[in-house]
Parts: sequence; C-alpha cells; structure tokens
Amino acid sequence: MALIAVIDDDPDIIEASSLVLKSKGYHVVTATNPDDGYKIIQEKKPDLIILDVMMDEPDDGFFLAQKLRREKIKTPILMYTSVSKTIGMEFGAGEMVPVDDFVEKPISPDELLSKVHFLLNKE
Amino acid sequence: MIDKAKILIIDDEEGLRLGTKRLLELEDYFVDAAENGSEGIKLGTTNEYDLAFIDLKMPDYDGIEVLKKIKEARPNTVCYIATAYASYDTAVEATRIGAYGYIPKPFTPDELLYSVEKGMLQRNLLLESERLKLEREKNLLELASEKSRLKTILNSIAGGVLVVNRLGKIVYFNNAALKLADSDKFETGKPLPENFPEELKEIASEYLNADIFISGAKSLEIEIKPNQELVIQGIVSHVPEGENSFAGVVIVLRNITEAKKIEHIKNQFVSMVAHELKAPVSAVIGFLQLSMDENVKLPEEKKLEFMQRSTTRLKSLLDLVNDLLDISRMEINTKQKIIEPIDLKEILNSTLELFSLDIKNKNIVVEKRIDQNLSLINMDKSEISRVFTNLISNAVKYNHDNGKIVINISNKNNFIEILIKDSGIGLREEEREKIFTEFFRAKNKFTKSISGTGLGLSIVKRIVDSYNGKIRFESEYEKGTTFIIQFPIND
Repeated sequence: MALIAVIDDDPDIIEASSLVLKSKGYHVVTATNPDDGYKIIQEKKPDLIILDVMMDEPDDGFFLAQKLRREKIKTPILMYTSVSKTIGMEFGAGEMVPVDDFVEKPISPDELLSKVHFLLNKE
Repeated sequence: MIDKAKILIIDDEEGLRLGTKRLLELEDYFVDAAENGSEGIKLGTTNEYDLAFIDLKMPDYDGIEVLKKIKEARPNTVCYIATAYASYDTAVEATRIGAYGYIPKPFTPDELLYSVEKGMLQRNLLLESERLKLEREKNLLELASEKSRLKTILNSIAGGVLVVNRLGKIVYFNNAALKLADSDKFETGKPLPENFPEELKEIASEYLNADIFISGAKSLEIEIKPNQELVIQGIVSHVPEGENSFAGVVIVLRNITEAKKIEHIKNQFVSMVAHELKAPVSAVIGFLQLSMDENVKLPEEKKLEFMQRSTTRLKSLLDLVNDLLDISRMEINTKQKIIEPIDLKEILNSTLELFSLDIKNKNIVVEKRIDQNLSLINMDKSEISRVFTNLISNAVKYNHDNGKIVINISNKNNFIEILIKDSGIGLREEEREKIFTEFFRAKNKFTKSISGTGLGLSIVKRIVDSYNGKIRFESEYEKGTTFIIQFPIND
C-alpha cells in the first residue's frame, strides 16, 4: 500500500487526515514543519505528499514544494490551502507553485480520498 | 452740461486775450488767460483744461513749443493754434504734435464760439475713448492676472493635469503631470510622448475618437514604477464644447501609491485573519466528519478525545474573535474608557489570582516588589487589567517548569514603571522586531504546544499607547524576557 507524507503545522489536521488515510489502508508519515517534512521525504520516499501552505512558517509550503522540484523529486504533491481565494492564489497548479493539485480546507474525507486516489494512479 | 468747460487762452496781445476771455465768460465758460508762453505752459500742464487757444507767435516761446508741452502733459486737452500767418509747414507740424485745428486771427465771436463747440465735441470724444481705453486695459490686466493665477494654481496642485486637443496634440500640462507620468518631456503642440502609459493613451484615443460628448470619466490604475513604488490613477474625460461636442480630452493623474500600500496592508491583515479563523474551524470539521465516517469507525474513547480537542479549538477561536473585536474597538475608538484612580497593586493581585492554578502546576515562583507609597493612576480598569493579564499569561505560558516571574511596580519621578520578568524561553533575535505585530507567534520547540491568538502583545501595545505610555522589552533566547512599561502620572 502506498506511503503518504502529511505535512501541516496543525496537529489536529494531521491526526484527522491520517486517520482518514489509514482507514483506507494507506501508510502515513507526518511532520509539523517544512524542515521536518523535507527530512521525512528524503528518508521515507513517500508515494504522495500532502503539504499545507503554512503561511506563517519562514520557509512555507510553497518554498518546500519548489525546493523538492528543484531537486528533481517528482513525487505528486497535494497542497492544502485555507485562504486561497482571499489572497488571490487562484493560479493553476503546476504554474507558479509546482504542485499537482490544490484542496481548500476544510476537506471532507471523501474528497481527500478521491484526490489521493487520483494522484496515486495518475501515472 | 455737468461742469462748466474750462478754457485756457494763451496770447501776448492783451486786447485780444481779455476780449476773448470776456466773450467766453459771457457764454458761461470758465476761462484762464496767460500772457506769455511760460505762464501758458505752467497753467496748461498743471490743470486739466478742456480747450486751449495758443497764440503761435509769442516773445518768449513759440506756440508750437507750448502746444507740445501741454499735449505731453494733458493729451486730452483740445488745442487750437491761433495765428495770422499759418504756413503749410507749421500747420503740418502743429497737427503732428496734436493741435486740433487753426483759428485764423483776427477771428469773429461766432468763429470763436463755433471753434469752441467743435472743440468740445472733440474733447468729449477724447475723454470717452480714454475711458474705454482704461476699461479695456483694466480688463486685459484682469484677464492676464486671472490666467497667471490659474496657471499658478494648476502648477501648485499635487495632481497632474494634461489637456489634449481633438487632434491628439498636447495643449496644456502642469508640473505634476510630468512627474507622475514619468515619461519624456511633454511639449505643447506635440502628441503624447512615446513612453506615456499605453493604457492611458488607449482611453484617451477612445475619447478622442468619440462622435459626441461623453459626460462620464474613465479611470484606471497604473503602476508607473515597479514594485508599487509609484502607482497612479489616471482619469480621462472630455473637455466640453458647445451643446454636444468636445474640444479635447483632459487627463488627471493622481498619486495613489500610499493608498495602495494601505490597501495592501489591509488585504494582508484580512487574509491573515481569515487564515487564523479558518484553521480551528477546519480542524473541528475534520474531527466531526471523522467521528461520523462509516468507513473509519472510530472507537468511542477516540470520539470523546476529538470532542475535547474540538472544544479546545473552539474556545481558542472564541478568544481570537474577542481579541479581534477588542482591536477593532480600539481602532475605531468606540470603546468607552471609564477613567478612575487605579491601585495597580490590587490589579496585579487579582490577575495573579487568575493564573494561580497554572502557576502552581508549573511550580513557578512569583516575586513581587511594589513601592510602599505607590501612586494611584488614572486609567480604565478593564484596560489595565488586560495589560497585566496578557503579560502575566505570557510569562506563565512561555516559562519553564520550576521557573520564576519577577514583578516590580515602582514610582519614578512622574511616571509609574511596571516590570515583568520571566525565566522563560525568550525570543530569537529575528523574532524580536515582530512581537507587537498581529498574529506573530514565536515558533520553536517550546511553543509548539502553547496556544495563543497572536494578538495579546499587539493589544497590550495599543492600550499602553493610548495612555501615552511606553513599552519596551529585553529578551535572551532560552533565558527569558522582561517587559518594562511606563505610564505617565497625570493629576
């Protein structure tokens, strides 16, 4: 079963997401900041990365996504956002931010699972 | 006749002089007589006469000379040259200098009166044209000063004004227009310069190509210098002409750089607020959906845990909303301050009471040093309580177990100083400048599990500022932070 990394600074979101993913048999690794996130990606080589925007971190989720792509890590990224509309972030995935899809919080279990399923089976 | 006409007779021949004078006085004229050229010049230049009769041949002065002097000083005095022998040359010369006519000597009373009548008509014409000339000059002067006034006004306003005629040629621009458009020099009679903002040019030509007068204006914002360094608003409208037509286009340029900056800060604040409000909502929704999910099938004790965690998140959301409301009230000054003499010792003790459980749980030692004769201070009780609550809450929250909090309150000359020192986690250098910023929260291994709205210190600073107080802090990472507040004592 696929391994999914969940990187979010909100431990409650991590727990809720993890439980949803685990209920479908996915394996989950987690991190609460971009630095730790980068480490687990390097070490565990997940099949999919769920990455929060984490606006208030100095090196935010955007930064991590760009860093991964610069390093030729092509693992699909699903980005969690919370205020994409208010800050005018309606640009398409893959353009300014090298991620495969966006999903706006709060996320229903069904939506999360269908996006995860789609991204894992894209290839 | 309003006034008697004034006539000057200049003649060295006594008989003729006096005879003429008497004759004219009988006709109700006012008459002065001069017996030689110099006296004639004196009278004729110092007084305004309607008419002057000047003898051509006098022993001291030539009549032409006298005429010249009088005309120079009094151009509206109508002068006759009286002579028995007028040569063609003298006639030409006299006329050139401004004589109105000749009266041949000797003259009959009728001839004289006829000349006077004719002369008076001329005099009135001269006066009238003089009056019209003065009026015209006055109007021109007014017009000229009005024009230069307008020019001065247009050049001194901060907004740029640029007028283009129907052919697209510049007919007017002020200094500000040059500066705001940041383009090549404008030249009247030339089209808008090459590097004039393209978007504005387009709107201008849209107006110029219109068939009839458009009453509305069109405006747009243009970033003239990158990174929002200079942002202007250009407003284009027709200059009306006649009923339904237009003479050209006027472009008004406004510098809106500052307004854009404020708008940007506002947008940032709004998105930050939205982010902060959404985070707990998302977490709670996540927990609720999870608890209800058929596939996940959570055990009961997990559901209970999620409910507790949801409650915690919602409580902190409530705190956040309350803090935001407080800030908003402070911003728009709707909060009614109830100013009364406050004993800070009392406020401190009741605040410490609030945190007694947390202090006990963390085994923190609190040291208080309060001046014996501490002055009362005029403040709003709820606001000063808020200052103590927020600072002591931080001193407890960010302290280590078995830590220490020192609180000094003392009189200093004409202010009261409050010092709150903790032995907590301290601030990193890069965090220090941001601590009064809304939603800023230090992030490190210690703060992960500490909840807060990120608004506490921002609120403290606003309150201190509103009493003309001062707040500063000293901090060392992993060692602790000290806040020092000074409030002026006003009687």
